Amino acid sequence: MSPALQARGANAGRRRAAGVWRRRLGAALTQLAIWVPLLVAAGNVVVFTLWTTWISFTASKLMPDYSWVGLRNYWAVTRTANFQIAYGNLVIFGLGYVLLTMALGLLLAILLDQRVRGENVLRTIFLYPLAVSFVVTGTVWSWLLNPGLGVQKLVQDLGWVDFRFDWLVQSDKAIYTLILAGVWQAAGFAMALFLAGLRSVDGDLIKAAQIDGAGPLRIYRSVLLPTIWPIFVTVFVILLQWAIKAFDLVRALTGGGPGISTMLPTLVVYDFMFQRGELGRGSAAAVLMLLSLVVVLAPYGIYVRWRKQRQARA
Amino acid sequence: MKWSRVIIYTALIALALLFLMPLGVVVVNSLRSSQEIAATSMIGWPRHLTLANYGQAWNQFCMAEHCWGIEPYMLNSFTLVIPATIFSTLLGALAGFSIALWRFRGDQVVFGLVTLGIFLPEQMKLIPWVVVLRDLSLMNTIAGLILIHTVQGMSFTTLFCRNYYVGIPQDLLKAARIDGAGFFRIFWRIILPLSPPILIVTVIFQFTGIWNEFLYGVTFTSGGQQPVTAALIALSAAITSEPMYGEQSAAVLIAALPTLLVYLFGGRYFLRGLTAGAVK
Amino acid sequence: MPVTTRRRLLAGSAAALALPAFARAQSEAKPRITAISQWSAGSDGAAISALGKVFEERGGIWQHNPVPGFTTEMMNKLRAQIIAGDPPAISQLKGPEIAAWSKIAPTVDISPLVKAAGYAEKVPAELAKSCQPGGHWIALPLQVYRINTLFMSTRGMQRAGITKAPTSWAEFNDTAEKMKAAGMIPLANGGIRYDDGMKFEIALAGISPDVYRRAIMQLDTDALKGREVLAAFEQLRKFSNVMNPNIAAQPWAVNLPAFVKGDMGMVLMGGWAQGNLLKAGATVADFSSGPAPQETGPPCFDLNADCFIFWQPKGADLEAGQKLFAEIVMQTATQEMYSKITGSIPARTDVNLSAEGFSDGQRNSAQNLRDAIAQDRVVLSLGHNMAQPNGMTAAMIDVLTEYVHNSAIPAAEGQKKLVEAVASAQ
Repeated sequence: MSPALQARGANAGRRRAAGVWRRRLGAALTQLAIWVPLLVAAGNVVVFTLWTTWISFTASKLMPDYSWVGLRNYWAVTRTANFQIAYGNLVIFGLGYVLLTMALGLLLAILLDQRVRGENVLRTIFLYPLAVSFVVTGTVWSWLLNPGLGVQKLVQDLGWVDFRFDWLVQSDKAIYTLILAGVWQAAGFAMALFLAGLRSVDGDLIKAAQIDGAGPLRIYRSVLLPTIWPIFVTVFVILLQWAIKAFDLVRALTGGGPGISTMLPTLVVYDFMFQRGELGRGSAAAVLMLLSLVVVLAPYGIYVRWRKQRQARA
Repeated sequence: MKWSRVIIYTALIALALLFLMPLGVVVVNSLRSSQEIAATSMIGWPRHLTLANYGQAWNQFCMAEHCWGIEPYMLNSFTLVIPATIFSTLLGALAGFSIALWRFRGDQVVFGLVTLGIFLPEQMKLIPWVVVLRDLSLMNTIAGLILIHTVQGMSFTTLFCRNYYVGIPQDLLKAARIDGAGFFRIFWRIILPLSPPILIVTVIFQFTGIWNEFLYGVTFTSGGQQPVTAALIALSAAITSEPMYGEQSAAVLIAALPTLLVYLFGGRYFLRGLTAGAVK
Repeated sequence: MPVTTRRRLLAGSAAALALPAFARAQSEAKPRITAISQWSAGSDGAAISALGKVFEERGGIWQHNPVPGFTTEMMNKLRAQIIAGDPPAISQLKGPEIAAWSKIAPTVDISPLVKAAGYAEKVPAELAKSCQPGGHWIALPLQVYRINTLFMSTRGMQRAGITKAPTSWAEFNDTAEKMKAAGMIPLANGGIRYDDGMKFEIALAGISPDVYRRAIMQLDTDALKGREVLAAFEQLRKFSNVMNPNIAAQPWAVNLPAFVKGDMGMVLMGGWAQGNLLKAGATVADFSSGPAPQETGPPCFDLNADCFIFWQPKGADLEAGQKLFAEIVMQTATQEMYSKITGSIPARTDVNLSAEGFSDGQRNSAQNLRDAIAQDRVVLSLGHNMAQPNGMTAAMIDVLTEYVHNSAIPAAEGQKKLVEAVASAQ
């Protein structure tokens, strides 16, 4: 072979080698870019949950202490009135908050979908509560709902002397004030997602239904709502995790009171872990909270798998 | 048919007023003096309008020795929130792309694990984070807080981005790969340009969530480095000993201003981002 | 290393590591101190800032981190710092928590300093005991409050035709009836947990400080099941019947304007309430204060105190800072300054409060403390975490706050629940 050809061959070979290296480097970086963030995020979830579970079986008080005590913390925590009330409240608050927020959000979305004037302004008005922190929401609503300082006093001063709106100070009704404040804050979020879904429905489907003579109510029920079913799921998940993690809102609005009637699991966890210096019991409360979540989500996960399998078979 | 329009508008206006009421109360209270509010009631028209509360809240109110008002804490919050939002959003987009489009073995499991993170309550993760930050020597630094919010934020951002990216047809990717494009080029050239709607949603969500967060902000910083939520809590605690409702209202408004503005200007993109859920 | 050994080592080190460290810290290092407290606002914030200034005037560097929120947030921060291996040089802690926390991180033995200042004899014995869990001083008290104080609204008294403050619970209930008849709310209360706990302890201490000591401080089951505790629950029910029904999760201070105006008649609160009243615009003529009703014998003293615990420091400058801080805090002048700002009384019982800047309420309180010490009628506050560690206190207050806000619970059941709570929290 001529030297020139040899040189060109060698260059090509070098370029190919360089290409191979570049590709290998690219592949390696790709793997890093995929795996590092995901492993850190997933690892964070797994390791912290496992650590908390481990601590719940130890005698940890003020500090983590790794001596095993079995289920003692669980017995102790589930026997406290605090915990029992908190669990009951989580069901009431969770259901009320999630369902009412979705209902109000859907209503607002349908109303705004009617091509109203000033839609931008209205949409901003309904969305702005999301910008406010839970602490502020709780504080402001605690002013408004205070019978002696807020809405009840205002209406009574205006003349309706018998008007009562004192849920906040009644042990059995205070939980509804939490739902009220929570719905106020989150309804805009649900509205935004539902509105987005409604707007993204294929126009042809609607026209077809209209040609078939369906009125607006029928169209909503049979065409639009079923199409935006996936959005329901997303909204439900986001609202559910807000309900479960509700902490600042409760502390600012009712402080867990009157008495201990509006305790929620996150407050029990915080109270046991940090106020009472009972890390073990607090962790047990946290684990129980997560278990109850699994109980709620697992059926849904199974349902989704079952639906997929049915669709695959069909 | 006209009746239905009347009903719709009435319902919307009534609901709008209901939604605005708390904000209205806070705004009005920020213009009344604390003594007046304490002496009369929380809801009421001001007898004398005063802007003094804003001045007090901004740079005069004292947290123990430091009478800086909430101004320095606002700066701290910005220093914390902006990087954390950017990092968690970008990483979420990357992760969402990996899971939704690039695909790999075990992607659904990883996705499930990461998403489960949104349900974990902060209280339970506090002590593990202390240990982590201690080992990384990031205790009492804003960098440590940024790390925490980025990692935790990924649970949300990955969820949002992945649900958005599944709407992008695989054919687009196949064509690009045939042309020889790799992971990064596809992400940069194809995915990112299609992402603004969901990125804006994610940024708004993250900005608001991190800005309003209190527990970690207080535990992992000290003194003058605390975020603005710490100052607000200090004001709430002060109220148990002396009436400061006026200053508290003013401080609340100032502290909420960035997020309110984000929703004001980003609101329409928020909707647009969710509307463009599936790429047609 | 097996865990239990590490624990034992730490517990032992609480004694061994609480070294008389200042023997070697006679350095030229500029004294510096890092401190954590919850006192970010109000008169507490002002007082700790003033203390910081004194520290700086004496040549030290003052680095105080006020944690916004309440005690839980402060302890949260403290715990985080301890886990991170970086505890502050001093931090706010009180009562049995001093003993509990001293087991998890090494502290400094400041007994030599205390001895040098002759301080131990000057503070109430119960308080001194809480600062010496291992037998030597690791904490110093800052200020003392009397919990069982009764404030009467001047205008309220006029309105209801009352001429003197009640001195027994029977008189108190009568006074409350008269005030109710005059259209007032007899007792101003907040809706927060410690407030409810406080009412109970004031009732029980007013009935019998001895039983209080046995039941609340020593958790003696017989005392807890006894008739004095039942009587205290009944009195607590009477309290809840004459309180403002519109209170929930609000600090009691929202009642201040009504109290000054005469729409509310009485407040059962610690001595700090005086400061709150003055800040809310009241003048000394608007209210009167004195010890809460005492059934038999002279008034007891239900004590609440704030202390600072001294953690093992790393560095000669922090050691020097701790020494300087300890000296400053034990001095009469410092305690006078502090008490003038917060409305408390000094931890030292030998301070003369007749000077300008102190109120009659404070003088009365200080005299009460001296007398109570002499008569052995000092008890520690339950609601303010002096009598029991936080876990036990919280379990007991769960019962008490539920009882206050739910009038359907009879006194006997309240007592039963309290006994159960104590048993399960141990």
